Amino acid sequence: MKEFLQLVVVGVSTGSAYALVGIGMVLIFRTTGIVNFAQGSFAVLGGLFMVALVDDIHGLVAGLAAVLVVAFIGSLVGFVAVGFRHRTTPLASLIITLGIALLITSLNLLAFGDRPHTYPTIFDRAWDIGGVLVQPQYVLVAGVTLLAALLLTLGLQRTIAGQALVACADSRRAAELVGIDVRAVAVVAFAVSAGLSALGWVLLTPVDPVNYDSDVRIAINGFAAAAFGGLASIRLAYVGGLVLGVAQQLVVGYADKIPGLGQQARQYELAAALVIMLVLIGWRARNEVHE
Amino acid sequence: MSAAPLLEIDGLVVKYGQAIALDGVSLSLEAGERVALIGPNGAGKTSLLNGVCGLVKPAAGRVLLDGRDLTGRAPGEIVRAGLTQVPEGRQVFPTLPVEANLLLGAYGREFRHELVSATLRYIGRRGEIAVRLERVYSLMPKLRELRERPAGRTSGGEQQMVAIGRALMAEPRLLAIDELSLGLAPLVVQDLSEFLVGLNEEEGVALLLVEQNAVLALELCARAYVLEAGRLVLAGPSDELERNETVRSAYLGGGLEVADAEPGTQAGPSS
Repeated sequence: MKEFLQLVVVGVSTGSAYALVGIGMVLIFRTTGIVNFAQGSFAVLGGLFMVALVDDIHGLVAGLAAVLVVAFIGSLVGFVAVGFRHRTTPLASLIITLGIALLITSLNLLAFGDRPHTYPTIFDRAWDIGGVLVQPQYVLVAGVTLLAALLLTLGLQRTIAGQALVACADSRRAAELVGIDVRAVAVVAFAVSAGLSALGWVLLTPVDPVNYDSDVRIAINGFAAAAFGGLASIRLAYVGGLVLGVAQQLVVGYADKIPGLGQQARQYELAAALVIMLVLIGWRARNEVHE
Repeated sequence: MSAAPLLEIDGLVVKYGQAIALDGVSLSLEAGERVALIGPNGAGKTSLLNGVCGLVKPAAGRVLLDGRDLTGRAPGEIVRAGLTQVPEGRQVFPTLPVEANLLLGAYGREFRHELVSATLRYIGRRGEIAVRLERVYSLMPKLRELRERPAGRTSGGEQQMVAIGRALMAEPRLLAIDELSLGLAPLVVQDLSEFLVGLNEEEGVALLLVEQNAVLALELCARAYVLEAGRLVLAGPSDELERNETVRSAYLGGGLEVADAEPGTQAGPSS
């Protein structure tokens, strides 16, 4: 039981970070129709920038700077992906984001090399909660992501700029007709999504080292989280991320107990989690049909 | 005051790829006027509006508002120049509350190239916009009751009011309404028509009614243009058009041989 809880704590934490990536994908997809595969690269960039900065400046400043820089990079990616003319189709944009993801991966390899990066957590010891050892960093990740998701939701509902984003998601044509520049809104959606992704890995890196090529795993997990809500719901993407994170940890934790799998279990982490996700998505879709 | 008409469209051509949807249409509209544009489905009515409102770049021709050339400008510029479109099928923002729908009409007017300065300009004008919102609520009290409800969960007629209210928030001098009556019950259409006539007469907002429902459009407007297969085929005062044989047989449901109008093909009040 103790081991189970331990795995759940870790799962909720990594899952939260996936959730932020997924939420970003939902935000971009709803406002532009683009599935953004550079979303994983934003997360990796966030983690790597944090590692590069944290030695020289205060952690809080470093984290903020990493998030803002990645948000800025995200806005540039958005600008290119959405296109300068109306002709760029969502499919073409998707391929552009894929290309940018590859480009960022290569640049990361050049700049940071082929080894996992991490930085020390500011917490010096784990908390003992009823016998379950909890790393405070995990709690930090889960808490901050939840706060970020809530703030985003509130911002979208309550502020006029957020409502403009929702308006583009609801009806791009009508948004254009009231005068909103849909492409400018898309750039903002990209920036916010990039910042969210970066935030997840700025916080997660001490407990989950980031490599130049971690982006594929992150993008796939983020997409799976987003797909849980049909790429439409921020709330469901959040839930999807948590489910995915916990499922993966359980697979890692228990798979080596299955005879014949042994040490190779880790390799099946992603595959197993995605199978669980597929089943859940199928189950959800079934229920929706029956409602 | 300039002598130029409020809206002048000159030889407008709209193409989708190779297909010509609008083939050189010219029309004009004076300040405070009510003008109808009628024609069958696929005649190019919506293409004309898209070309005028900046959703599609015209292949040729000019669009002038108050004598200012606005051909091919972004939709936002057209809105700021004083022309707002109420799109076909209402196109409200379904997940947003009615009030947010209305406020976005005012926000869109402040939107130029990016979100931050648009938001600052909007906040700077918050006082004026609140007054404007009050005005729209007093014109359409129903919207005040529905202010917190998601626009997607209101009736078709209410959505049409939301769409019109949203357009009014941009302080237009010309309101272009695409298919006001589409999919609405005749009684609802009648209410909306009366509202629009009042708006036009009391507030001086000019109306361009783009309609398949010729009976309604000719009844509401003093003047009309008839569009067919991308070209204007007729233009003139509504009462003359109503007597015109071609118009009667094609749009008013009164064939030459068939004396009785076919009921049910036209929504809206027919006498």
